[in-house]
Amino acid sequence: MKRMFAGWLIPALVAALLWGIVGILQKLGSNRMNASSLLAWVMVGYVLALPLFWQGSGLASLSHKDLFWGTLAGAANGLGTWSLFAALERGAKASVAIPLTALYPMITVAFAYLILHERLAVLDWIGVALALGAGAMLSYEPEPAATAREAELRVEQFSGRIKEDS
Amino acid sequence: MPRTSNWLWFALMALVGWGVWGFLVKLGADRMNPRALQILFVVGMIPPLVLALAKVKFVVQKDRQGIFYGILNGLLATLGMLAFYAAMARGQASLVAPLTALFPLFTVIGAVLLLKEKLNRFQVVGIAMALVAVVIFAR
Repeated sequence: MKRMFAGWLIPALVAALLWGIVGILQKLGSNRMNASSLLAWVMVGYVLALPLFWQGSGLASLSHKDLFWGTLAGAANGLGTWSLFAALERGAKASVAIPLTALYPMITVAFAYLILHERLAVLDWIGVALALGAGAMLSYEPEPAATAREAELRVEQFSGRIKEDS
Repeated sequence: MPRTSNWLWFALMALVGWGVWGFLVKLGADRMNPRALQILFVVGMIPPLVLALAKVKFVVQKDRQGIFYGILNGLLATLGMLAFYAAMARGQASLVAPLTALFPLFTVIGAVLLLKEKLNRFQVVGIAMALVAVVIFAR
C-alpha cells in the first residue's frame, strides 16, 4: 500500500466518491426534470462556486494557449454529456450506451501513452483493464428498470395531455 | 426503429469527449492551478449547455426539488473536480483517469443504501473488479 500516500491516490478516490454522490443526485434530479434543464441547474451550481476560485487563480498570467486548452477541456466534457443525451434520444438503450461511455478513460490512457509517453507496469495495466470493466459493469442497469421509467414518463405525459384537454 | 449506427456515433462521441477531457485536464493540471482550471472548465461548458438548452427551446423546468438536486450536483461536482485536478497534477493520467472513473461504485452503493435499489449480477461483479483495481493501484 505504498502508493496510498503517493499524493494522487487519495485525491482520486475523493473525486470518485464525490462524483459518485453526484450520480445519485443526477438520478434524483432526472426523475424530476428533463436532462437539459437539469444540466442548466448543475451549471448554476458550478457558477455559484466560481467566486471562491477567482482570487489566486492566476488566470491573467496564463498564455492564450493555456487558456484555450483549459477551456477546451470544459467544452470536451460538456460535449460528452450532450452526446450521451443525443444518443439516448436517438433510441440508444441506456443499458448499452451508458456502460459503453463508461469506457472513456480508455481514450485518456491512449493519449497519455501516445503524447505524454506515460508507461505503466504490467500489473497497473491489469488494474486499468479491471477499472474500465468495473466502470462499465457498475453502470449497467437492465432494461426493465428503464422501461418502467419510460412507462412512468408516458403516464405523466398522458395525464398532462388530459389536463390540457380538460 | 432508429438505426443502431445513428445513436452509436453519439455514444462514441460521448466516450471520446470525456476521454479527451481527462487528457486535457492532465495538460492543464501540469500548467495551472486548480482554481484557474475550474474557471476555464465552466467557461468551456457554456457552448454545450447552449446546445442542450436549444433542444428544449430554452425552456428550463423549475421543479423546486429538481433545482435543489441540480445545484447541489454542481457544487459537489466542483469539489470532485478540484480533487481530480490535484490527483492529475501529482499522478499519471493513465492511472488517475481509470481510478476516478470508478465513481459509479459509490453511486451504486449509495443507490442501494439511500434509494433502496437492488444490485444486479453485473454490478456485484463490477464492485469486486473495482476493489481489486483499487488494491492494485494502491500497492
